[in-house]
Amino acid sequence: MKAATYAKAIDRLVEAGTDQAKLAENLLKNLSATGRMKLLPGILGELKAYEARRQAVAPRVEVAHEKDASAALAAAKAEGITAEKAHVNHSLIRGWRARSRGTLVDRSSKRALIDLYRRIAN
Amino acid sequence: MESIIKRIEKEIAGFTPTGGSEETGIVRATGDGIAEIDGLDNAVMTEMVLFDATLDRTLEEALKDANPVYGLILNLEEDGVRAAILGDATKVYEGMLVRRLGRLLSIPVSDDMIGRVVNPLGEPVDGKGPIPNTKFRPIEREAYGVIDRAPVNVPLHTGIKAIDAMVPIGRGQRELIIGDRGVGKTTIAIDAILNQKNEPKDSRPICIYVAIGQKESKTAKIVAQLAEAGALEYTIVVTAPASSPAAYQFLAPFAGAAIGEHFMEQGKDGLVIYDDLSKQAVAYRQLSLLLRRPPGREAYPGDIFYLHSRLLERAAKLNKELGGGSLTALPIIETQEGDVSAYIPTNVISITDGQIFLLTDLFNKGMRPAIDVGISVSRVGSSAQTKAMKKVSGKIKLELAQFRELEAFMQFSSDLDEGTKKQIDSGRRMTEVLKQGNGAPLAFEMQAAVIFAAINGYFDTFSPETTSAMEKKLQDYLVREGGDVLAAIRSKKEIGEDTEKLLRSLLEKFVERSGK
Repeated sequence: MKAATYAKAIDRLVEAGTDQAKLAENLLKNLSATGRMKLLPGILGELKAYEARRQAVAPRVEVAHEKDASAALAAAKAEGITAEKAHVNHSLIRGWRARSRGTLVDRSSKRALIDLYRRIAN
Repeated sequence: MESIIKRIEKEIAGFTPTGGSEETGIVRATGDGIAEIDGLDNAVMTEMVLFDATLDRTLEEALKDANPVYGLILNLEEDGVRAAILGDATKVYEGMLVRRLGRLLSIPVSDDMIGRVVNPLGEPVDGKGPIPNTKFRPIEREAYGVIDRAPVNVPLHTGIKAIDAMVPIGRGQRELIIGDRGVGKTTIAIDAILNQKNEPKDSRPICIYVAIGQKESKTAKIVAQLAEAGALEYTIVVTAPASSPAAYQFLAPFAGAAIGEHFMEQGKDGLVIYDDLSKQAVAYRQLSLLLRRPPGREAYPGDIFYLHSRLLERAAKLNKELGGGSLTALPIIETQEGDVSAYIPTNVISITDGQIFLLTDLFNKGMRPAIDVGISVSRVGSSAQTKAMKKVSGKIKLELAQFRELEAFMQFSSDLDEGTKKQIDSGRRMTEVLKQGNGAPLAFEMQAAVIFAAINGYFDTFSPETTSAMEKKLQDYLVREGGDVLAAIRSKKEIGEDTEKLLRSLLEKFVERSGK
C-alpha cells in the first residue's frame, strides 16, 4: 500500500470519530510489524495536506469592520455557518461574508460593486 | 457621454445585491490546464464553473481583471472534482475560489453568427465585435430519436462530380472523409461549402466549418477563400487552433453541432464539417490522461467511441412535425500511411453512413480529387440522389471498376485486343472527366450533362489525354448555348425525353465543331 492510501484511511477514521491516540498507536504497530516504517514520512506529509485542505474550507467569517463582528457571526449562523470569531478584512469595504465547505455567503459591498460593474461592462 | 451616464444610472437604480448563499469550492491543485477542486459536493458532470479571483483581492485589483476564466467539470471524484480550464490557465492558482454556475456548458447561438468566426465557447474571434441576439444552448445534448427523424431523401450536392455521381450525400447524412495528410480532405469539404452558393437561397444549407487543431494560418486562409467566393454569407467558422487548450479542441465539434442544431430546429438545413476528428480524439486523450482516467487502446480513454458516436448521432433529418430541418455532418479523419484499420478510423467508419476514401497514390498520379471509388461508399445517399444524376451515374462505378482491373493487367501485357483497348481508353476518358480542380465545384445540372456526355460516348472521338481539356470546353459550350437544357435539368431534377433529345443534339454539335 502507498502512503496516500494509509493517509486516506486514517482521515476517514478520524472523520468517523475514532480515537486518534489509539489510531496512531495501532498504525505504528502495524507498520513496524509489516516492515513499512519507511512509509511514515510519506503518511505524515499526506495527513498534513489533508489538514491544510480541511482548514481551507473550514468555516470562516470576515467583516469589513471590527464593530460588525457580532452581528455578522449571528447572521452567518442563521445561514448555517458557525465560526468562533470574525476576521477583519478591509477589502470588503462594508458588510460581511462567511464561508464554509462548499458554501459562500457574501453580503459585502465589494461583491455588490463587482456585480454591478460586470453588469454595466457587459 | 450622456447616454453612458444614463445607462449607468439605470443599472444602479435597478440593481439589487444578490448576497444569497452560493456553492463554491477552492482550487486544491492546478497544472496542465486541469484544476482539482475541493468543496463542490453537488456539482454535476459538464457543469460550468467560474474561477473567481475577486475573493482575496481588493476591489481595484478585481476590477482590473475583466476577463473571467471558466472551467468545465469533467471528473466527479470521492474527494473533489476535476475541471478543465477553459481559458488562460495561468490565471488559476491554488486556493482560488471556484463558483458553480448552475448550468451545463452552453454557448451563445444566434442567426447573426453567420459570416462570423467564433471559438468553441461561441465568442467571436474575428474582431468584428460582439454577436447580437444570442441565446444560450447546451453544447451537449441527447440526439434526436427514431420517431423524431425522417428518411434522408434530399440531396446535398458537393459540386464534385466523383462524389455526387458515385458517393452521393443526402441532407441529414454523416459521410466520413478519410485519407492521409495532404490528399485533399479539407479541399473536398471547402468545395462542398462553396458549392452551396449554387443552391437556391431558401433551401441553401447553413454551413459550419469546425477547424480543430489546425494552424491558425490555414484557418485564416480558408476564411479568406470563403469570403472571396461569397460563401461566408451562409457559413460560420468555429476555430480551436493547435495553440488553443486541449479542452477547446475537444469541445469545438460539439459547439459546431450546437450551432447547427440551432438552424436545424428552425426547419433549415445545416452542413457541419469537423476538420478533423483525429485531432479532437488526440485532444480528448490528452485531457483524459491529465484527468487520470485509465488509458485503453492506443492510450485513448474507454469512452472515445461514445465521444464520436454521440457527436455524429446529432446529425439528423427531422420529421415534418419538428420542422423538417436537417444537419448533415462531414467528419474528417486523417490516417497514417493509409491505415484505415487504426483505432479512431475504424470507430468513425462504423459510426458514419459511408466514407469517401482518398488515396495518396491517386493524388500523386494527378487524380484530383483522389477518391478511391472502389472502397468509397454512401449507405443512404443514393435514395437522396436526383433522377438526373441517378440516370447518368448508374454505369460509372462498374465501368471504373472494370477499368481498374484491366489497368493492372495492361502493365504487364503489351498485346491487347481491340475490345480491351477500347475499354481501357473509355476508362481513362472517364477518369479524366471525373478530375476536377480545387475551389471549382460544379452545379449538379452541369455535372449531369457532362457525365451524360461521357457515358454516352461523346468524348470517344477525343484521345484520353485531351479529354480533360475537352470537358472544360464542353462546360463553356453548355453555359453558352445550352442554358435551356441546364435550366430544365435544374428545375425538373431529371433528364426527361425532351431534355435528352436537346442535350444529345447539343453534344453532337459540340463534337462536330471540336472535330473541326
